[in-house]
Amino acid sequence: MLRNKIKIRKSLSLKVLLTSVAFSILIATVIGVSIHNRVSATIINEKISISKIETANALYLAQGHFNLARFQNDAGLNKVVQDFITSSREDGSLSGRETVILPVVEGNNKQNIYQTVPTLLVLDSIPESFREQVRKADEVLDKRVRIRYSDGKEFPGFLIGGKLNIPRTGVYEIYYLFKLDAQYQSISNITWNLFGAGLLLVILIGLSTQFVIRQVVSPVQQAAAVAEKFTHGDLTSRMSISSDDELATLGKSFNEMAVSIQQQIIRLENLSMLQQRFVSDVSHELRTPLTTLRMAAEVIYEQKGSFDPNIARSSELLINQIDRFELLLSDLLEVSRFDAEAAALGVVTFDICGLTKQTVDFLHPSKSALFQVIAPDGPIQVEGDPRRIERILRNLITNAVDHGEGKKIKVAIAESDKEVAIGVRDYGLGFNEEDAPYLFDRFWRADPSRARSSGGTGLGLSIAIEDAKLHQGQLLAWGMPNQGAHFVLTIPKLNGDSVQSFPIALIPDDLILTVNRV
Amino acid sequence: MPLVMVVDDDQDLAEMLSIVLTSAGMEVDLVNRGDQVMDLFNTNPPDLVLLDVMLPGVDGIEVCKLIREKSMVPIVMLTAKDDTHDVVLGLEAGADDYIVKPFKQQELVARINTRLRRVTKVGTLEIGDLVIDQMEHKVLKSGREIPLTRLEFDLLATLAKEPGRVFTREALLSEVWGYQHAADTRLVNVHVQRLRSKIESDADKPEYVLTVRGVGYKAGAARV
Repeated sequence: MLRNKIKIRKSLSLKVLLTSVAFSILIATVIGVSIHNRVSATIINEKISISKIETANALYLAQGHFNLARFQNDAGLNKVVQDFITSSREDGSLSGRETVILPVVEGNNKQNIYQTVPTLLVLDSIPESFREQVRKADEVLDKRVRIRYSDGKEFPGFLIGGKLNIPRTGVYEIYYLFKLDAQYQSISNITWNLFGAGLLLVILIGLSTQFVIRQVVSPVQQAAAVAEKFTHGDLTSRMSISSDDELATLGKSFNEMAVSIQQQIIRLENLSMLQQRFVSDVSHELRTPLTTLRMAAEVIYEQKGSFDPNIARSSELLINQIDRFELLLSDLLEVSRFDAEAAALGVVTFDICGLTKQTVDFLHPSKSALFQVIAPDGPIQVEGDPRRIERILRNLITNAVDHGEGKKIKVAIAESDKEVAIGVRDYGLGFNEEDAPYLFDRFWRADPSRARSSGGTGLGLSIAIEDAKLHQGQLLAWGMPNQGAHFVLTIPKLNGDSVQSFPIALIPDDLILTVNRV
Repeated sequence: MPLVMVVDDDQDLAEMLSIVLTSAGMEVDLVNRGDQVMDLFNTNPPDLVLLDVMLPGVDGIEVCKLIREKSMVPIVMLTAKDDTHDVVLGLEAGADDYIVKPFKQQELVARINTRLRRVTKVGTLEIGDLVIDQMEHKVLKSGREIPLTRLEFDLLATLAKEPGRVFTREALLSEVWGYQHAADTRLVNVHVQRLRSKIESDADKPEYVLTVRGVGYKAGAARV
């Protein structure tokens, strides 16, 4: 039951949960990545374009100052340029911006070279190709670079480059290097936030799916449990219906089905009970007249010496047939007990070897020469019902005598740790393979035209197999036309165990010998 | 000649029984109804009662109890159902033995003769303060007589004869009931219980008839 529950959960609930979680992870990832990309691009580009406009304005303003300053003397001009450089660097030190000023043509003017490079900056941070572009362009340009320092530090950033024409000194390239680490820091913050939100989303979706599943699956599980109980014979189990949805419809249909099955079964049970009762009652009711009949026949039989031979023989036949009738009646009664499941084991511990030998000796004293009993010396103690075991043996031996054609009959006993087996082997008619399934059927005869030699009831083997089942044992039959038959009874030594191994093999070991002989 | 009372509602069987028993040298009284048993029993007490379980009027079990209230006469039950509670109920009600229909006449006669036989032996047996007088068929406990059925007496005497020997149920069935082949061990169990309820001071802690677990019964050790 528990295993089935897990199975259902596995097949339905877990599947749905995993699917929904997988989908939500996929969706969250796609959305998260695209948001992340858009946001980070926006942040960086915004920064670049604002910086570019500001730089362009600043350079334009500076160029204006420089143009005005051309009317001043060299010192005045120099002061204007130096002021600009100083203020650029001071502004930059606040915002983390580096300022680089390089002459377009190195060494074209010996007087004032306003070359400014921050001490630690590696000048390679400004690629030569970009400088080429800046020199040619009339406007401010930008480029994403990595800003490297000679102490090994490196920052993501961008360059904005432009030109300044300083009067009487020449054209200079001016570069501003902006670090983007602050931007990247906020992008990373956003990334983590997005990741967290996505995770939360997935968890929430998982939980809500679980909740929904439980709403759907728990009635299904309940239904499964009820169906299971029903299967195991509790015909009164019904589903409880508390809602009005599809599950309720399922429950209603199930309950209707259960009611109909229950009614059918009760009807059949009653029928079969009636029939069993009838068989049992008939068998019992027949016993009283049979008793009178038997005693009357016996009284007549005792006087047969004084009768005419025909009447004397008739009285003999009468007695014989009453014996047979009585046997049939008791077998019929036994069968009805099995059908009513009223047969019970009277379990005692007994020596099965002794019982077997006794049965063989007692059953056919006139034919004792036929029998060969192969048994271990010591007793084999078994828990079982000796009356039933004896009956099984009696039926097997009678069957062997009936079909053995007067050839020898081998009765073997063997044991293993937990089982004991008795094999009854005859070398008579045997049976066809197609007859094998019917051997243990009631009143079945291999050849209907063949007369019964010992007047068996036709119920012997079917009772024997029921007796064997009652002991948790197995009664198996092997046969081949004209090579005889082998019946093997295997029962556990301890009552309640089941048969695990077979001390006597079903296919007889003397088969080849027999083939040679025939 | 011993008188056997045959109680059976089946007229033909009753008649047949009377033919068989008469030719075996017994006198027979026939009764067809359970409620007529006690009248005849009082006026003409039999040596043995052969009793069918299923009877009109008062059923066999009830008849058994009524007879036991008055008499220790041997009772043998006739039953068509050996697999039911009826047998145990009958034995507990006081029947000594039972025969399952259909039976052979030799078997019936043998059963009846076993119950009628009174092998008088000389001498007394003792278990503790229990004195078993085999000649008089009396059992005295501390000088007071305890009424026992013949079967109960035989059972007790058999055990007392060989103090210390453990009797299996099969051995008791053979010695007391006269069965040659394995028979119903419930017979022994029920009668030991009945015997104990009469002779023991506390039937749950028997002193005279002891159970040997897994084997059978033996007489209690004589106290000195």
